[in-house]
Amino acid sequence: MPKKVLITDDTAFMRMTLKNVIEKNGFEVVGEAGDGEEAIAKYKELQPDLVTMDITMPKMDGITAIKEIMKIDPNAKIVVCSAMGQKPMVIEALNAGAKDFLVKPFDAERVVEALRKAAP
Amino acid sequence: MYDAKLDFLRELGNIGTGHATTALSQMLQGKLFQLVVPDARMLPFEEAADFIGGLEQVVAGIFVAVSGDVSGHMAFILPIDSAMTLVRLLTSGQNEELDEMALSALQEMGNIMITSYLNALASMTDMVFAPSVPGIAIDMAGAVWQSVLAGAQAADEVTIIRTDFYADGSAIEGHIIFLPDEEDFVKIARVMGLEDM
Repeated sequence: MPKKVLITDDTAFMRMTLKNVIEKNGFEVVGEAGDGEEAIAKYKELQPDLVTMDITMPKMDGITAIKEIMKIDPNAKIVVCSAMGQKPMVIEALNAGAKDFLVKPFDAERVVEALRKAAP
Repeated sequence: MYDAKLDFLRELGNIGTGHATTALSQMLQGKLFQLVVPDARMLPFEEAADFIGGLEQVVAGIFVAVSGDVSGHMAFILPIDSAMTLVRLLTSGQNEELDEMALSALQEMGNIMITSYLNALASMTDMVFAPSVPGIAIDMAGAVWQSVLAGAQAADEVTIIRTDFYADGSAIEGHIIFLPDEEDFVKIARVMGLEDM
């Protein structure tokens, strides 16, 4: 059974890019979310094995969404994919429960490696 | 005093844009970009649009507000031809028009470049430069400029750091503009050990 992934990013182009990379490497993308609120709703609905999370998004940012998802499911496996790679932000995301933090632009291999490591 | 300030701003522009174009180059499978020596100016609002390339030229602009330890505005502005070339490169030639996916690609590319610039300044100063969700506009430079500055603090003069770059082979040129709020500019200078700016 391929691992189920929920992609969260506010830009359609990045969702498409991530989806291509993820599906080519044996995962199943079960849903896409355009902001933090949508990510929480889809997490409850789809119960994915893995979540990719952007940080800077409208309505609700990724850090808040990570905290909320971790409250719903303390075993959630969330990997951040964000351009915003400044140290305090990385620390906050990891403290909130993210398993890894990838700074855009990232290469495909790094994404796959992070996902495999987060949910072996 | 102005000379020292502008010198310092040019250096910030150089470092920031170096990181931004490195990020762009990674997105485009290693295409090489050359930076033009950055230019920093203090200009009245109305002259600022001219500085970035003429009011009537059609451009694509991706812009954010910056908050955190340092506030200000930032934009990546490029002539429409360059925007189309970038879209073709980013989408492997699938997009010939500026449709929704093309705009999304441009927005994300601009966002990554702007944020890489800010990440570089953040690691240099140990301060947080947090970008907002980016906006995008395709319009005459004058109108895009209005969008960039929407919400900017009213000041007679703006401090602009403009760095231009181009790529060989496919003509891509663009400007990255950083407009730190005045009091925060002083903060950056102080952290970098430059007093009395």
